[in-house]
Formats: sequence, structure tokens, C-alpha cells
Amino acid sequence: MSMPVINPLRVGLRQERVVAPQCLVIFGASGDLTHRKLVPALFQLFKQRRLPSEFALLGCARRAWTDQYFREKMANALEEDIRENPEAWSQFSKGLFYEPVDLERPSDLIRLGERLEEIDRIRATHNNRTFYLSVAPKFYSNGCRALAEAGLLKDPKRSRIVIEKPFGRDFSSAQSLNRLVQSCGQERQIFRIDHYLGKETVQNILVLRFANSIFEPIWNRNYISNVQITAAETVGVEERAGYYESSGALRDMVQNHLTQMLAITAMEPPGHFDPEAIRNEKAKVLQAARIANEIEPWKCCVRGQYEKGGSKESPLLAYREESGVNPNSTTETYVAMKLFIDNWRWQGVPFYIRTGKRLAKRVSEVVLTFREAPVHLFDAAGGSPTSNQLVLRIQPDEGAEFRFEVKSPGSGMRSRPVEMEFSYDQSFGEPSDEGYVRLLADAMLGDPTLFTRSDEVEAAWRLYTPLLELIEDSPWQLPIHPYESRTWGPASSDALLAKDDLLWRRP
Amino acid sequence: MSPQLTLQTPLQLPPGEIPSYLEQLWSNDQPKNAGANTFCLLVWQPAWIEQELVRIGKIKGPIVGTQNQELIKASQEVVLEENLPISTPPFDSTVISSLSNRNDAQPIEDQRGQHIDAAISALQPRRLITLAPTIKTHNLEALVAAYCPLPEEGSGNSACGDVVVLRGDVNSLHTGLDILTDLLPEDLPSWLWWNGSLDERPEILNQLSSATQRLIIDSAIGDPIHCLDLLQEKIKEGQAINDLNWLRLRNWRESLAMVFDPPTRRDSLEKVVKLDIDIQGKNPVQGLLLAAWLADRLGWQIKSSNSGDLGNIDAIFHRSDGGSVNFSLVPLPVGKPSIHPGEVIGIRMICKPDKSPQKATCVILGAESGECMRLEAGGMASMELVEEVVPTQIDSVEKDVARLLASSRGTTSPLLAAAAPVAAKLLNSAKTSNRKSS
Repeated sequence: MSMPVINPLRVGLRQERVVAPQCLVIFGASGDLTHRKLVPALFQLFKQRRLPSEFALLGCARRAWTDQYFREKMANALEEDIRENPEAWSQFSKGLFYEPVDLERPSDLIRLGERLEEIDRIRATHNNRTFYLSVAPKFYSNGCRALAEAGLLKDPKRSRIVIEKPFGRDFSSAQSLNRLVQSCGQERQIFRIDHYLGKETVQNILVLRFANSIFEPIWNRNYISNVQITAAETVGVEERAGYYESSGALRDMVQNHLTQMLAITAMEPPGHFDPEAIRNEKAKVLQAARIANEIEPWKCCVRGQYEKGGSKESPLLAYREESGVNPNSTTETYVAMKLFIDNWRWQGVPFYIRTGKRLAKRVSEVVLTFREAPVHLFDAAGGSPTSNQLVLRIQPDEGAEFRFEVKSPGSGMRSRPVEMEFSYDQSFGEPSDEGYVRLLADAMLGDPTLFTRSDEVEAAWRLYTPLLELIEDSPWQLPIHPYESRTWGPASSDALLAKDDLLWRRP
Repeated sequence: MSPQLTLQTPLQLPPGEIPSYLEQLWSNDQPKNAGANTFCLLVWQPAWIEQELVRIGKIKGPIVGTQNQELIKASQEVVLEENLPISTPPFDSTVISSLSNRNDAQPIEDQRGQHIDAAISALQPRRLITLAPTIKTHNLEALVAAYCPLPEEGSGNSACGDVVVLRGDVNSLHTGLDILTDLLPEDLPSWLWWNGSLDERPEILNQLSSATQRLIIDSAIGDPIHCLDLLQEKIKEGQAINDLNWLRLRNWRESLAMVFDPPTRRDSLEKVVKLDIDIQGKNPVQGLLLAAWLADRLGWQIKSSNSGDLGNIDAIFHRSDGGSVNFSLVPLPVGKPSIHPGEVIGIRMICKPDKSPQKATCVILGAESGECMRLEAGGMASMELVEEVVPTQIDSVEKDVARLLASSRGTTSPLLAAAAPVAAKLLNSAKTSNRKSS
């Protein structure tokens, strides 16, 4: 007998919020993100009945596509999904439109305004619009300005703007961009997206911490000895060399995704579940964070770049051999560092974060290691008792595990570690939605809880300023250490923890 | 948060002048504030028991029309004083009829429609129209007041609304209903909350529900057959309907779904052989809706249904694989009955895969009150036993309505639409077979 895929009793029980009638306008609609992530996420929302019938998607880019061509391109990208849901696609695709727009040409913006009015009439979208800037970062400021000058952002209740990462290249550029964007619209209209915050497991950190009374009393410097945050990828730079060469792991992953995980792990409990209350706490903890040695940053940070690897049968190229990469590139594909948070809760607790491409395993996790028991009463199977660890698995195998010592069976009193596990798969049996499903719905609903506020972005950039300045001014002081593809990064990264008598957790 | 009061003394006007008064209020006097752009709520608010209790001096009054502890306590005392069965729900029709012979003790001050429950006023309704039928003969009178919810901390919104009260005896109210056409703004969703028994005044219910787009009822109040038939009929007519009795099943449905979330238990759902539902008191509607929801979700068809002398209902369902499910709904007397008649207090569901009986599972869900002991008796030693306690949510009916207004799209839930006809069929054929056998 086949196992039902969906729990039939679960159907209709989730009270999902329904998006209000509106038109989502995607700039950069001919790009990868639109057909790989955004339109699939919207189709998913449609299938979940979370989009109203008065919904439209207007794709915009410089290419001279037509509505029909845009629909076909999106259909090609969603082929498999459409095969299973042809009726739903037929309904959904009626709301897809395309308008060629160059954000730098005022006449195009006038035409865009007219097209939006026409869509309002056809689809009854009530002048309610969300503008999604899925364009190269250099167009963010001009894009915002153009929309504001065309009067498309003037109603703060009926217009929102979503901006993809990276938001700036450093503290000062993020600050300038914030100033410019805020001159185009109110802060509540601006949604800076970080798709990590759309992950169930990242949101679960909040629930685990603040819906249970057992964790919060020990979630501090008195009980936790260190925290490790890892986001490891097995893939290389792939098709993104152009962008990656100018960003590197620090800008691509650490300043946004890892910093958001750090903020959610370390923030104080908000007074209530309210967007501003949560974002206040995240901003506060980031403002209290610093790299462990700001005077000599090279002592607390390691950069690496992947070398060749793989096997004879399937060799893997070194980063510098990848297409589009400078053969002498000094862009880091790996970065590890030690941070501190100077507040009452975390004073003296090191936070180690690392991320890299072509590492041994694809895994993202937050690991909290607790202090050792003050007295060792028992012999431990492994020589000394292992510290308790709480592992929050962000992806894959989403879930959590807690490691603790138990009595090893037998006549003696020896202890050994065991693990208590929670798995999303085993407990809920349904795959969670892609981060973009949640975030697109929230942006269209005007709920900013899972989006980063201007002060958070600036605090995150400020945190890494000593490193960015060092890389800019004296890169030799923060050299690139090569590491073999599909290993756990350069040896100097292990040395970073060895100085504190610690090891990276091997996931 | 305490209930919101209107900020001005309601103005009494001839009913016919109210629409023009309101139009003037919003368009001329406050040009910058056109009122909240939300919804309009029309409430049938008989508050019969409260009227009787105030009349006989059991509670001080004034009549406000909202459920509160004083009212519940006074009704419970009446149950004892009148020697009604101890399991009689406090707002049962027998409590009302037992009071009608008592003498007046004090004049009645009626403020229905002027005390807005905080949960509802937080949603900033654009217009609240209360229809307040009186127990004594009373000509139709109309009151009107504007109100602005005091802004919560941090919110500067002053989305204001207005309150209209139409008060009079049932006949005069009925004749004055035509005014409603001009009082319901066309561009806003309008809800009718029938906050009374579904047995009373069907002609008024029909007239009001056709004037509004969305209907809120409570199928726990009224004759069970009539309630389920009406629910079914309205769904068939395409009326958007929301049932508070169904809404209150949410914790039970959620708890059952949680049991079967782990994929390893999904198989068991296809091999249910026994379903027992215990309810408090004799109103079977909520228990039947729960059974009907399960039958719909799991693809069961009713084979037979009959009712016993003690109000129990037994039925057999056919599963899609040809197996049978024995269903039993048992009413139990309880010492402290809920304000909502017929609330579910326990479920037992037994699943037995034919080929691997060792994988039999027994799921027992019990209300926090601990009434599920009966379900735990006997025969499950060889099964995997899943026992959970379902949180009891004892909220006032106003809170239930506010929750509904805040979360519903206004349409009929497809799950309720599927379950209501099954529940009605279960009850109707049980009563029919009972009549035949007697």
C-alpha cells in the first residue's frame, strides 16, 4: 500500500494569510532568479490558494518580449510542475504580463505606469503594487529613484519595493543606498530580502528559543561555551563568476545569511511578536557584535580559495580555472572567523562562523556547545565526557539534535554521548516551502518581520568593516589559503579554533 | 482590553432618518475621515436570557448583550433553583422558559449595541448594526452613535465607525427591516451574525441573510436537525456561511492531524475500524460535524445510522477499500456544562491494518477536563496507544466571532461544506431509523 503523500487531516487546517489584490512587478524578469525562484514560488502560492483571483505579475526587463513569450518562457522553466497541475497553470498564467522597461529611460516609466493602470482595470488589482528589483545591484539606486519620480511609490499603503541582496558593498555604500532608498519611500515600504530568513528552520530558531521555557534560562554565557555557525556548499562558483569575483564569500554569504543566523541565535527575546520588536532586537545584538580582534583582524579571520579536487573520473576545477574567473584572482571562496558579542548575555562567548564553496558536505547549521560539567564523576567512553551540544540543522535534514551523556550499559559507571533528535521529515512528513514562497507572500502582505531593516544592514556591514578595509588596503595580511575541493577548508581555519582548544564540528 | 463603549450618548432618531444622518455625519462633518474601510457587521442580538435575568433582578443590568461571567453564573444558579438537570447548559432554552413565570423586579435598562467587545472593536468595523428584540411589547426605536476606538499604543490610526441599534419587539423589528438596505454600504463586505437560536424567527433570518454577503451562525444553538438542515441548505444555496460550532472544533481537528503528521502513521488512516466520540450533553451537532469531517477526509460513505434511547448515535461507514468503520457518538452528562452545548470531550479512533495486526493503533484524545476515562477502558493492550490532551478553549462567543472576522475570507470553508451534508445525513437517518423501530 502506498503511503499518502499528504496527511489528509492536515488539509485546510493551516490558516495561511491571503495576499490582498495586487500586481507584483519584477524588474529583471528575463533573468535567472525570476524563472528559477520567483515564478515557481508564486505558482506555489497560487496552488496553495494564497493568491487572490485579483492578482497579476508584470515582468519587466530591457528585452523586447511579449506577454505570450514571457508566459512561454516561464512555462518552460516550470515544465514538470505544470504537467502535474495543468489546470492551475492555465489559470495562473492568465495573470502573467510583460512590459519592456529600461529603468533609466523616463519614457519607459511612463509607459509602465500606463500598463499598470491597464492591468488594474483588467485584473482589479486596485493600484496595489509590489516592485521587486531583481536587477544588478548597481541599478538599485537608479531603479528606486525612477520609480519614485514616476510617482509609483507615493502611496505607502499601496506600494512596496523589494530589494535583493547584496545591499551595498560596505558600510558607507549601504548607508548611501539606504539614504537614497528612504528618500524614495518610507522605511515600511522597503523590503530588503534575505532568503535565509524565509527558511522554516531559521524561523524555528525563534520558536525553539521563545516558545519553550527550558532553553532561554541556559541560553547565555553562564552555560554556553561557544557557538559555531556553518553554511557549507559543495558546489563551486558555477555560472556566477562575474558577480562572485567582485563579492567573495564575505559579501556573498557572511554579511547577510550568516549574520542573520547569528542575530536570531543571539538576540534578546522581543516583548511581543511584532516586526519592529523583532527587528529592534536583531539590530541591537548586531550593534553589540564585533570581530574578536579589531586591531589585528588577521588573527581572528581566515580566507581560503578552492583548488582542484574530486577524482580522476570526475575532476573538479580550481576556482582560478573556472570560466569567467581571473586566473590570479584573490577572491575568497571560504571564510572563517571568530566574533564576540559585547552584552550581558554573551560577553566572552566566542561565535565562530564559516562558509565556503566546494566544501565536503552541503550543510547549514548552528551549534551551541555547553560548558562542561564542573566535576567529572564518571569515566567517559571517549576519555573525557563530551560537552552537551544543541545542533540546529538549517539544511538539509532540517531539524535539531541534542547531545548529552548517558550511562554506558554494563556493570561500571562509564558515560558515553547519545543524541536526541527532532526531524522535520519524520515529524511532519511534508517538505517545507522554499524561502521565497514565504518571503514573497510576506512582502505582498506588507509584513516586514522577515526582512532586514536599514539599521540591521548597516550594523552588519559595520561589523565586518575592519576585515573589508584590511582586504582592500593590505590584502597580504589576510592571505588566501588554498584548500582542496571537497574538503573542510584550509588548515589555518582549524588552527583558528585550535588556539582556543576547540575543533570545528564535523557535520 | 476592556469592551469599547461608544464615545457619545446614542442619538435616538426616527428609523427613516438614520441613513441620511449617517451620510451627513461622514461626508460633511468630518471630511477627512470617511470612516474605517473595513466591513459592516449586522448582529441579531436577542439576549433573551439576559433580558429575563435583568427583569427578575437576578443581575443588575443594564442589558449589554455580551457574554460575561456574571451572566453565566446567574444562569447556572437558575439551573439549580429551577431543578433543571445539572448538565443543562447555562444558556439553554429551558433556562429561559423557566424564568418567564417569575415576576418583574426592576426596570430594564437596555444598552445592547453600545458595548462592543474589545476583540471586535479591535478590528475596527465600519458599521455595527444591532437588532435588539425585546421580551416585552415595544415599538421600533432607532439609536445611532459614531465611535472611534481609542488608538492602541504606537498606532495613530483613528479609523472610526458608527453604531446603529434597532430596538423593538420582534414584530415591530420585522416590519422595520427595510431600512437595512440603505444602511449596508455596498462597497464593503457585510456580515450577519445570528447571535441566537436558529429555531427562532426563520423569516427574519432569511431576510437578513439575503441582505448580507456573509452569515455567521452557531449550529450548537437550536434543534439539531434544524440546525444541520439549515447549514446544509445555506451551503447549497451558495450563501457564504461560517459556523462557530465548527470553528470550535479546530483544536480537535488540529490534534488529530498532529497525531498523523509523522509519515510512519499515515498508513493507519486508511484502516480505521472504530471511531468513538463523546460529547457533553445531548446536542450532537458538533460531534457529528467532527465525524463527518473525518468521513469526508478519509473517503468513508455512510452505510447505516441509528439512534439510541440515551441520545447516542451509532453508524457504520464504508471505507473506500471495502472495510467498515463502526462509529458511535455518546452524550455524557457533565457536572459543569460548557456554555456551548454538545462540545466534544473525547475521541477514540482505532486503526487495524488487515495484514499486520501488530501495527494496530489506538488514538485517544481527551479534553482537558479529563472526561475521556471511559474511552480508555479495555482492549487496547496490544496496540500502539497514542494519547493526547486537547486544550479546551473556553472563549466568549464574541471572541469566536472576532477570530472568524479576522481570519476568514468570508467564503464557506470547503471542509465545512463537505462535512455538513454528511453530518445532516447521519442525524436524519438515525432519527428515521429510530422512529421506524419504535
